[in-house]
Amino acid sequence: MRRKNRYFFLGVLALGTLVGVGAYTQQQKPLDPFEEAMRQRQMYLETFGVLPGELFVEEGKELFFRKGPSGKTLEECDFGKGKGVLEGVYAILPKYFPDSKRVEDLETRVYTCMQTVQGYKPSEIKREEVRAITTYIASFSSKAKIQVVPKHPAELAMYNLGRELWYTRAGARDMSCAVCHDQYAGQRVRLSPVRSPKQGLGNEWPAYRFEEDKLYTMQDRIDFCYESIAIPKPEYYSDVHIALTVYMLAEATKAGHSFEELPFFTR
Amino acid sequence: MRKKVGLILALVLLLGLGLTQMSPFRARLEAALHAGGREFAQVMLSQDKGQALCSQYRDKLPPDLIPGFLAEQKALIQYPASGKLMGDWKNGEKVFTDPKRGNCYACHAGVASEVAHGTMGPSLTNYGQRGTSEAVVRYTYEKIYNAWAFVPCSLMYRGGVHRLFTPEETADLVAFLLDPESPINRR
Repeated sequence: MRRKNRYFFLGVLALGTLVGVGAYTQQQKPLDPFEEAMRQRQMYLETFGVLPGELFVEEGKELFFRKGPSGKTLEECDFGKGKGVLEGVYAILPKYFPDSKRVEDLETRVYTCMQTVQGYKPSEIKREEVRAITTYIASFSSKAKIQVVPKHPAELAMYNLGRELWYTRAGARDMSCAVCHDQYAGQRVRLSPVRSPKQGLGNEWPAYRFEEDKLYTMQDRIDFCYESIAIPKPEYYSDVHIALTVYMLAEATKAGHSFEELPFFTR
Repeated sequence: MRKKVGLILALVLLLGLGLTQMSPFRARLEAALHAGGREFAQVMLSQDKGQALCSQYRDKLPPDLIPGFLAEQKALIQYPASGKLMGDWKNGEKVFTDPKRGNCYACHAGVASEVAHGTMGPSLTNYGQRGTSEAVVRYTYEKIYNAWAFVPCSLMYRGGVHRLFTPEETADLVAFLLDPESPINRR
């Protein structure tokens, strides 16, 4: 029932968005896309009294407390601050977990615990469910200060790997992350402003994107970048996403950035 | 004497081993790329020489490598069989705008009425004021076909080299920028 409501709601929103986007690309002066997102956000609040991201949080909460084949819920998972602690965990991830012997971001940690704690097989784990649970847990770190400081040797290795990927130019468009997000940070690709990690890049996900009418996690957003530069997107929960996330958020940490309201609302 | 020769042989052998073996970091990187999936790894691991150098030097090549780099990139430029470097501006506009081909509005301003343009590259509005001398036409053609033949590791991708557009379509792009009739040059 809740799911149905959500789709109806999103449908109505999509229609509104199309009209909105049409109107704003036809104006003489390009609108600042973030101002436009804030305007849309206000409109959604006034019309529906709720933001789309909150519906994903609700869905994630239900899934978080759902018992898996082992009879356990995700309350039994350690997300970085001990079993059952959700407050502020998103702000310290990715980090090394001794039980899985792996540096994990939140999405990967959810995926791991659904297997090791809850007893799901990988094939039974739906991406949309991980997305919703991630959004629910991240909402406990809304506006938190980012605190990704690689210390464990595995975290340092992941940072170095992320930095290498960041500078790797490949594919038919000769791109790397760095060439736009460092050298040309502050400029626009079409109407979208491009930020560097030092300017806080990565501090807004998970977010609902009204232009796409979808919720994006950090991994989804990295995939969107790769696809737009003609590189096939890497597999979910792979070290590629985790390494890039460590690199970006460690740089954002050095510059003293905080997360936006999570889940964020953006274009 | 024999001992000395043996020692030198052993050293040479060790050196050879060291050179042929992948560094641990490189091995770790390749493992991560493979973990990203077959298609992802395939693209990331098939960098050409230019891409590999730009990655290695973080887009700032040492001065002694630049002349060789520019020459190699220049050699990759192909020209239309007809020899005409200025084609049809109407088709050029299509290639310029198409996100799968030129995608030029991602970074450049073009026709003045298009406001949804990026700002990473210089504005191309009124590019035609340079005139249509042979030198201008040739530079424009070569720059579009392979930007790295002029600025090593620039953001501008090598659309011709990667066949995002053909030599004939490159000439059409040149016309879109230089033809006085093109909307890029009309007030």
